[in-house]
Amino acid sequence: MALRGPVEHLLTAGLRRAARRRPEIFDRLDGFQDALFVLAPDDWPVVFELRPCAGRGVVRVVRATAPMAGTARIRGPLTALLGLFDGSIDADAAFFSRSIRVEGDVQAVMALHNALEAAELTVADLLGLPAPASGVANASLSMLLRGLAARDARASA
Amino acid sequence: MASIELVCPAGSPAMLRAAIEAGADSVYCGLRDETNARNFPGLNFSPQELKDAADWAHGRGAKVLVAINTFARVGAVDIWRASVDAAARAGADAVIVADLGILAYARDAHPDLRLHLSVQAAAGSVDSIDYYAKTYGVRRVVLPRVLSAPEIAALNRQISVETEAFVFGGLCVMAEGRCALSSYATGRSPNLSGVCSPPEAVAFEDHQGQLTSRLAGFTLDRFEAGEAAGYPTLCKGRFQAGGEASYLFEEPTSLNAMELLADLAKAGVTAVKIEGRQRGKAYVARVAAAFRAALDALDRGESTQPYERLLSSLAEGGRETAGAYRKTWR
Repeated sequence: MALRGPVEHLLTAGLRRAARRRPEIFDRLDGFQDALFVLAPDDWPVVFELRPCAGRGVVRVVRATAPMAGTARIRGPLTALLGLFDGSIDADAAFFSRSIRVEGDVQAVMALHNALEAAELTVADLLGLPAPASGVANASLSMLLRGLAARDARASA
Repeated sequence: MASIELVCPAGSPAMLRAAIEAGADSVYCGLRDETNARNFPGLNFSPQELKDAADWAHGRGAKVLVAINTFARVGAVDIWRASVDAAARAGADAVIVADLGILAYARDAHPDLRLHLSVQAAAGSVDSIDYYAKTYGVRRVVLPRVLSAPEIAALNRQISVETEAFVFGGLCVMAEGRCALSSYATGRSPNLSGVCSPPEAVAFEDHQGQLTSRLAGFTLDRFEAGEAAGYPTLCKGRFQAGGEASYLFEEPTSLNAMELLADLAKAGVTAVKIEGRQRGKAYVARVAAAFRAALDALDRGESTQPYERLLSSLAEGGRETAGAYRKTWR
């Protein structure tokens, strides 16, 4: 978990930047501003804990083996999770096909999904890159996170 | 034969733009409250978003229809009236209403506002449609999803208003506007609160790949690993009866009537409608584009066949049906 700090810093900064630029996105979360969402990519040694909290949002990286915590947990392939983030895949179809699995507070998950759908955010926004770089950014972030996770897993083995 | 209008769902301004950019002629949407039948957390429009979205749509030659299609609650009618007022202020091209009192209010308070009768009103006979047309000035009726294509043709020959028919998306097995299953289990219903299976009452449990869905403690279904899942609604629950597990009310299957577009056009349908305001941008972009291509093919006198299997991966339970348009069980 040696590289946990930089990844958490990068994603937290991106979340707060999105909150500054598009505060109305967070209005759609209604009573779930302080909810703790756990995003768990399949076959990863780590999961991402996201607490939106408007401008004070935080993203943490924790071991996948840690006890189930949070308001809700969303599991699936990383590409599907990124697709849900930027609205490029249909969440219901992903649920029907069992690609995405949801545990915990379904109302919170629905609020998060609908807020993201309305937001039109891309991974490029999360990284502070210009929008046209979205496709490249999605692929790059996926590779970066996968690489970091594998390296951390080796280091802690 | 005039071109059929393609009416697509919008649960957010982003989804509205995606629908129109993909070829929708009209979009329908709702305000962020119980006055519309997709009252889910984080979904729908504020009055200002509705105004901005209507301006954007009109700039591209598209129409915005506002669904105010739940039934007004005793003591809270002002919420529904306020939604009608907000739609009129936003420049909506029509409001889609089911409640008689709200129809009367819209007729009296906004005489220039076009009225469409919601599917929730379940008006499927000549007499009932005539009543809505003469009494409230309704200009279009969204048909209940229980009529066959020949029945729609017969209906259209005898009525004076436009008809709109659902052609894609989720199905309800109940007579439209009369479902009490969700209300029985959770206290909230699609017809009154705008939510079927409210998400706060839904729970999923994943155990070694086996998915169990529950609503307010009732087990709805258990899907084996790899088996396509459906919405967590009581009507699509799989129950044991007579020693056999089966879907007692309705199978988790989506409507896709694209292959019947030509029949619906001949039947005199003015508009076809896509269900799914809760689905999102990716869904509406794919469905609108496919139906746009099919309708354009129809206008050119060509077959819709090349487009009929483009949307299977979006279907609930992984399966599609032509529903009541082809009453094969008769």
